[in-house]
Amino acid sequence: MENFRFLFTAWMAVWAVFFVYEFSIARRMSRLKSEMAELKQRLHEPRTDR
Amino acid sequence: MGTARAATIILGKELRTELRARELLSTTIVFALIVIVLFSFAFDPTAAETRRYGPGLLWIAFLFAGSLMLNPSFAREQANDTWSALRSAPVPGFAILLGKMLANLIFLLLTEIVLAPVFCVLYNISLAGIVWRLAAVLALGTLGIVATGTVFSAIAAQARMREMLLPLLLLPILTPVLIAAVEATAGLMTDEPVLDRTWVTFLVGFDVVFITASWLLCDYLMEE
Amino acid sequence: MKWRIACTMIAAALMFSAGYAALFVAPDEATMHAVMRIFYMHLPSWIAMFLALSLVFVANVAYLVTRKVKWDCLGVAGAEVGVACCTIGLITGPLWAKPVWGIWWTWDARLTSTFVLWLMYIAYLLLRGLVEEPGRKAVISAVFGIFAFLDVPLVYLSNRLWRTQHPQPVILGGPGSGLDPVMGKVLLLCVVAICWVMAMALVDRYRLELLRHEADGLRVEADSLQSEATNFNGIAASKEL
Repeated sequence: MENFRFLFTAWMAVWAVFFVYEFSIARRMSRLKSEMAELKQRLHEPRTDR
Repeated sequence: MGTARAATIILGKELRTELRARELLSTTIVFALIVIVLFSFAFDPTAAETRRYGPGLLWIAFLFAGSLMLNPSFAREQANDTWSALRSAPVPGFAILLGKMLANLIFLLLTEIVLAPVFCVLYNISLAGIVWRLAAVLALGTLGIVATGTVFSAIAAQARMREMLLPLLLLPILTPVLIAAVEATAGLMTDEPVLDRTWVTFLVGFDVVFITASWLLCDYLMEE
Repeated sequence: MKWRIACTMIAAALMFSAGYAALFVAPDEATMHAVMRIFYMHLPSWIAMFLALSLVFVANVAYLVTRKVKWDCLGVAGAEVGVACCTIGLITGPLWAKPVWGIWWTWDARLTSTFVLWLMYIAYLLLRGLVEEPGRKAVISAVFGIFAFLDVPLVYLSNRLWRTQHPQPVILGGPGSGLDPVMGKVLLLCVVAICWVMAMALVDRYRLELLRHEADGLRVEADSLQSEATNFNGIAASKEL
């Protein structure tokens, strides 16, 4: 199977695209969630200026 | 106020603005000329090659010039916030778009009228017997460029990096126009010039589709 | 959460079985041998792309009509998944073409049109990144998305008309004609697998975008409270003076 390297590269490329995409979504999601937790805390904390 | 009348007023305003400043047309013409000259360095323009590549080069020059020229169409309304004034005027949204579209059409056509003969001189292409047919192809192709480009200028004006963004949005969308216009022009620049009906119909179809789409979607662009 | 685990397990099962089938069950193709198996990823990714981009169009129209945020979120999710599928197609295509045709790329009608399609939807995503205000972003990208979708058939048509006038460097004799029944079943399995997996990615991206909208709302609220507090401080300070 001398053309196996093309087949292999293609499969790896498909997995790479898919996993990179999912990974980037997961990373953005976790960053967003931590930002939201922080924002929610800011909104609910007692205001020190009053 | 009716659409036609409002559009005419806007058209008049655009033309008067350009007449006073005289910056848009001159820069567009010079830029297109530079592109045409640069092509001569990209390959050796012997007779056979110019016949083959000429129409393509001509339309690429017009496309590039057009996509730069269309930017100020809406971008300069942001400068003194004349955009809010325009939007709050009691005219249909399409009138504003149509007025600007017609103005851009006139500017780009003027650019082409100046540059097409120059191009033919520089690359030894004869215009004998094909002037009116070529004019028709130029008009239809330019209408496609301008109809889509004016809408995208309105889109890009509301984004950052608008000078870079407009060509980015516009050029992929205009590939059908480029193909059709180049093929129609190539058909005219042969030994036996013939106006290819397929491509002319295609250009007409493109123009109809995109002008209709602009008419249907213009109000969404005009809102705040 | 349970749904997510179930879906992930189904996805794993589908991908595993599809991969196995494509590599080992499907019969060897007469002329292309092993390389032909790239086709089992190539075609399904186009189908998935077509579905994703159609969804984008529907979402764009629905957003302009209803102005519900979820349609905007669906639009961007569909566009990203569509571009990902198109990328897969544009990568696997040349990897198949090189051993079979001897060249990486040819400017035939279909390839050229698809490349332009890829560029259009990348432009869509770039546009979204360059508009800040969420409401304007949604409206503008919806309008551009509709224009792009309307242009797709015109792009394909113009390329088709053009390329039939010029001689083709190679004939695209894809294995779609007269497909072996086993190959057909393997292909179907691969289509289902890739569409399922991409649908999951789409849902994830959709959820992310919804969350982002929520975060924007919270940020605005936090900022306005902040400025309110600052104003209050200012008034109190001036009263003291």
